[in-house]
Amino acid sequence: MAESSRPTTPPTRSDAPRRPGPPELSSAQKLMVFVLSMTLFGLANIVTEVIPEVRVGPVEVGVSYLAFVPVIMVALFNPLYAALGAPLGEVVFVDLLMGDFSGIGELEGYLQMFLGLYIAGCLVRDPRSPRQLFAAGAVVVIVDKMLSAVVDIAKVSVGVDDAEFVPGLPQSILLLEGIDFVVALLVSGILFGALPAMALAPRLYGKIEPLLGLAPRDPGHPMPLAQRGTAAFMLLALFLSFVSMIAAFTSEIFDNFGVWEPDFIEQYGDRFLWIGASAALIVLVALAVAVRFVLASRRARAAQGSHGPDAQNTGERR
Amino acid sequence: MRKERDGISVEWVKLELLRTAYATRGGLLAARDPRFVIGWYLIFAVVPWFTHNITVLAALFTVCAAAVFLSRVGPLVLGLFVIGFVLESLYVLFAAWLFGGDMSTVLALVVLTLKLATISLASMAAFVSLDPEKLSDGLLSMHAPAMLSFGVSYGYRMLPVLMEEFHTVVDGHRLRSAPLAAKGFLGWRVVVRTATTLVQAFYPLMLNTAKRTRTTVEALETKGFTYAAEHPDGRRIRLAHLRADHRDVLLIAVTLLLVAASFALGHAYPLQAGVG
Repeated sequence: MAESSRPTTPPTRSDAPRRPGPPELSSAQKLMVFVLSMTLFGLANIVTEVIPEVRVGPVEVGVSYLAFVPVIMVALFNPLYAALGAPLGEVVFVDLLMGDFSGIGELEGYLQMFLGLYIAGCLVRDPRSPRQLFAAGAVVVIVDKMLSAVVDIAKVSVGVDDAEFVPGLPQSILLLEGIDFVVALLVSGILFGALPAMALAPRLYGKIEPLLGLAPRDPGHPMPLAQRGTAAFMLLALFLSFVSMIAAFTSEIFDNFGVWEPDFIEQYGDRFLWIGASAALIVLVALAVAVRFVLASRRARAAQGSHGPDAQNTGERR
Repeated sequence: MRKERDGISVEWVKLELLRTAYATRGGLLAARDPRFVIGWYLIFAVVPWFTHNITVLAALFTVCAAAVFLSRVGPLVLGLFVIGFVLESLYVLFAAWLFGGDMSTVLALVVLTLKLATISLASMAAFVSLDPEKLSDGLLSMHAPAMLSFGVSYGYRMLPVLMEEFHTVVDGHRLRSAPLAAKGFLGWRVVVRTATTLVQAFYPLMLNTAKRTRTTVEALETKGFTYAAEHPDGRRIRLAHLRADHRDVLLIAVTLLLVAASFALGHAYPLQAGVG
């Protein structure tokens, strides 16, 4: 255990060229980043609970979360562990402790937030750059809300018989989702996400990492290109799945296609091909990402296996 | 005791939050084995999606509402749920009307609302009364990541400390800053000041929490925390206290019976919301 819980040595010049990415974390450091991110976002969520909200109809003009806290975490620390921890903080501190746990719905929220944060964290190369922090803050909310819109629309289309034929239903759902998206992007994403992160992250940079025994993120050695590429791909895939979902949902509205018949290619023409192609692309990209991730984690595990006998117990799982 | 409650003070809000988090919980499902409670919830989370029959959905809804009543869910949580659902439905209804909906739109919305409300009620009945540590042990026994149960235990102990610290930091900020000269239109200056104080308070808090986290994690790792969490023996010892008895089985059996009865009822008196 002593072997793996000792803080990794700071990136010495000799091993920098061998590993293009940031230094590998020990299992204790992964746990630290995870717990820190969880605790802080949990606390932020409790604070959010206290802040009053203005409701206009179903649209909440309020702070749905203080996004700057996890954005700073993923910008400064390893994005994977920080992004895994932050949404768990919300689940644990607010939902479980305050008795507001909603079962499967929590899983949905967790995954949305995790993906958003992870992508945002991989986009930040230098935590001192305001531009990258701004992008990160916006990306978190965009991904989160886009996914939640997809889930909501899926719920309607599964839950209601032939939802796209019910007059007025698809438009109203889309309208609601649209308003929600814009409000969340402005309030949670920019006002309480990007702007505070731009103010705080550069000040914390270089101060908070040594407290955990970590080296600050080095812009000269960014996340490996593969990882950043993966983030961009994921973003594209999410966007495409979003677009295809909307397209599939609204295709019935704009053109009166009538019933679903075997000769749909003639009826739906190019649009259907587009949806099919984007669906195939999404599956392909997801597969590639999954394989890549599995390979990477296997490699990491193998690398740790050479260090000590407790290689498979280092929290790589999950 | 000093005079208080002239208006809602921060202290009062803090106490109220802690009371919510640490109140003793009880009720029908709280005493049951958490694994069976999760199973109970999953039945009601999955079944509503398989039907569009309003009679079945209404019956399921009634069962869940009875379960919520028996679980003694607090009025606050219940009230928020009802208000949220009513507002949401009204707004969707209004928007649907705006885009030219008719009776079938209303029926379709009733179906959707019943489904979502049934699932929410089931989750309330199952999880509001259940002790968080018990719930996390139940999830752990279903091979949820060990981090989840660690998070619950950690959060349970750290919550008061963290809130206290946050309050101290915010108070320090307020002491050091001059009072606002004017509130501004609709008190916008107050809003801006509060928001900036909130954000700034996180700066020292992040540094302090980082230090504390390192201490905690290093202490944990010295005792082999990660190893114990993932080793089968550690898991076994941890979950040894979970015991299911015949009443848990009875719970599931009665639930399945009720679900079957709902479907039988729906078959006998179908009320379908369709376009046809």
